[in-house]
Amino acid sequence: MNVEAPDQQVSPPRGRPDSESAAADSATARNRPRRREGAAWVFLSPWLLGAAVLTLTPMLVSLYLSFTQYDLFTAPEWVGLDNYVHMFTSDPRYWRSALNTLIYVLVAVPLQLAVALAVALALNSIGRGKGFYRSAFYAPSLLGASMSIALVWRALFNDGGTVDDMLSTFGIDMGGWVNQPGWALLVVALLTIWQFGAPMVIFLAGLQQVPNELYEAAEVDGAGRMRRFLSVTLPMLSPVLFFNLVLQTIQAFQVFTPAFTVSGGRGGPADSTLFYTLYLYDRGFTASHMGYASAMAWVLLVVIGIVTALLFRSSRSWVFYNDKG
Amino acid sequence: MRQRATRDPKPTPAGRVPVLTTAVLLLCGLLAGCGASADGAAGGKIELQFSWWGNADRAEVTNEAVELFERRNPDIEVQTSFSSYNSYIQKLATQAAGGNAPDVMQLDYRQISQYASAGLLLDLDEQSAISTGNVTSAMLRTGQSSGEQYAIPMGRTSQVMVYDSARWQRAGVAEPEYGWTWQDWSRAMRELGEATDRTGATDPGWSEDWFEVWLRGRGKGLYTDSGKLNYDAADLAEFWRTTNELSQQGAVSPARQTTQIDGSAANMPFGRGNALSGFTWDSAVGGFQALIGDSLRLAPLPVGPDGTPGQYFKPSMLIGVSANSPHPEAASKLVDFLINDPRAGEILGVSRGLPVNRTIRENITPTLTGLDKRIAEFQESLDGKLLAPPSAPPQGDLALQTAFQRDYDHVGFELQSPRRTAEQFLTNARSELQR
Repeated sequence: MNVEAPDQQVSPPRGRPDSESAAADSATARNRPRRREGAAWVFLSPWLLGAAVLTLTPMLVSLYLSFTQYDLFTAPEWVGLDNYVHMFTSDPRYWRSALNTLIYVLVAVPLQLAVALAVALALNSIGRGKGFYRSAFYAPSLLGASMSIALVWRALFNDGGTVDDMLSTFGIDMGGWVNQPGWALLVVALLTIWQFGAPMVIFLAGLQQVPNELYEAAEVDGAGRMRRFLSVTLPMLSPVLFFNLVLQTIQAFQVFTPAFTVSGGRGGPADSTLFYTLYLYDRGFTASHMGYASAMAWVLLVVIGIVTALLFRSSRSWVFYNDKG
Repeated sequence: MRQRATRDPKPTPAGRVPVLTTAVLLLCGLLAGCGASADGAAGGKIELQFSWWGNADRAEVTNEAVELFERRNPDIEVQTSFSSYNSYIQKLATQAAGGNAPDVMQLDYRQISQYASAGLLLDLDEQSAISTGNVTSAMLRTGQSSGEQYAIPMGRTSQVMVYDSARWQRAGVAEPEYGWTWQDWSRAMRELGEATDRTGATDPGWSEDWFEVWLRGRGKGLYTDSGKLNYDAADLAEFWRTTNELSQQGAVSPARQTTQIDGSAANMPFGRGNALSGFTWDSAVGGFQALIGDSLRLAPLPVGPDGTPGQYFKPSMLIGVSANSPHPEAASKLVDFLINDPRAGEILGVSRGLPVNRTIRENITPTLTGLDKRIAEFQESLDGKLLAPPSAPPQGDLALQTAFQRDYDHVGFELQSPRRTAEQFLTNARSELQR
């Protein structure tokens, strides 16, 4: 799009040339970027086609479906705002799922970022075996994307599972964690926190960007370790922190796989891990209320949009960009 | 002006050719990707799609039977595919919604009314290739919707109580036999809970299936023939109160074990060795046999206070033909072959439960061994005693099944009273069934 802008402004005056040669000149001049642009479109076309057919169209269809009642088998039936009204006024489980998700976001995201930052700080000061430790700490996030680790998690924290066995040797007998309404959500959050690899790597990159002279200057001024972290590292790292916060928040709102697997697909016990997306899945694919599920998806999109916008607004007061100052 | 300028270039041929070539190549790639599966007939043969859910063992015998069918009908080629139950159900729904359902498909009891009312299934009464003379009318009725035959049951299964007879005997508790009542069952559970360090059974309060048996024993049922609810909150509250009290007393499994149930034998309190018995379907007994071993025994479920049996013979699965199939005759031929052909019956054995076809069942029963034989004997012992199966459950029941287990968690963890939970379940049930 940026390529086209100068062309538009320039071409009208040049469109009326005085002499043949000028016309030919301007034609080649205009033609060159334009042809390149054409090539760009051609090379973009697989992606564009994918985005239009596989992302944009389904999104618009789901927007339409959110105003209908649709069970997959019979044609969608227009019901106006009914789905949205039902969702907000007479579906207690909807609110339960929204609350669970909110708790999860508020617990998992800050803790995950804190752990990621702490490990990044530790790894940043290591000299020998740096590569090994970085890979070792990053590994969980590679594994975590898969179903299998969630299954392992479930087995670990189950009634009679490994964690249970270990604790019972110390005389703590919990009888399982994932099977008790008070603990299940925390176990799922723990799984997310454990997968701190991606933000950790970004923090590490950020830490290496902090100019050394700032630390030296602070040290000369007599700043201790804590002071240096608070006054140098954190401000310099704030853009990276902000980036991680936005990304992890958006991801946390859409959490699905760990809860689905750990709770056996039901969001149990007693709805304690019924996350928003899990309930959405339940409505859409178990109960065949595709219209209602679509409406839920759109509300989630809007909420994530609002939360992200709020984060961006708040960033003005705490994110420090070095290049501005 | 601008437009003309763009069409009036002096292209350097060398610059344009790669772009065009790339575009053409990309397009070819796309077209090739789409075109591969478009053709329905391979080399003048009729091609049928046949899919089912099940494990590798079932797939092996099914494919063997299909090969025999293809040898007998050289003009028909059958493409088979199978997957696990949950992914099969979802995939089939998506295919059906897109008008691409396979020609011949294995169906669950709970899908019939939904698929039939959406016009996705062929009315099999009009297919002369299919004969159903060897299937009882009570069984055939399970494949009907509004009086039309949309699917044929393939095998039959019944509810069964599996228990560890060695431990029951050691605890000094009398082993169950047909005709024991729910009260007898409760007493046995309490005795087992007291005499051993385990609970008597997996708490049956988690599943609509066992509630149904309890209801039918009292002359009620989950749904009327027209698909309306056939019980009220008081019934459900009483059932849940009974099971929950037993759970509190240590007679059946505690909530934190019951909530772990996900359908697999390995996650049932009985399968895990925490309880001494459990209710299941006789088609799923194999999973328990592997975990419990030779002391596993089968017993009928308890009957109602006046001796009314609650359990029934249910189709373990049905088979139907897509209404969109371009080859309904060939598809019907395959259905008939799978249900009635004696050789196919031998190959398929009990991979889909005991066959509903009487002749085939009698043919293969003597050849059965081990657990299969015991299941066959168990079913035989119930023949003629049970009431007719209920009609196919209405659309929406699938969601209620999961809601049932979810809501019982609230009772089990004492977050809500049975009465209040039952009322909530029914409010939810009415709205699910209405939609």
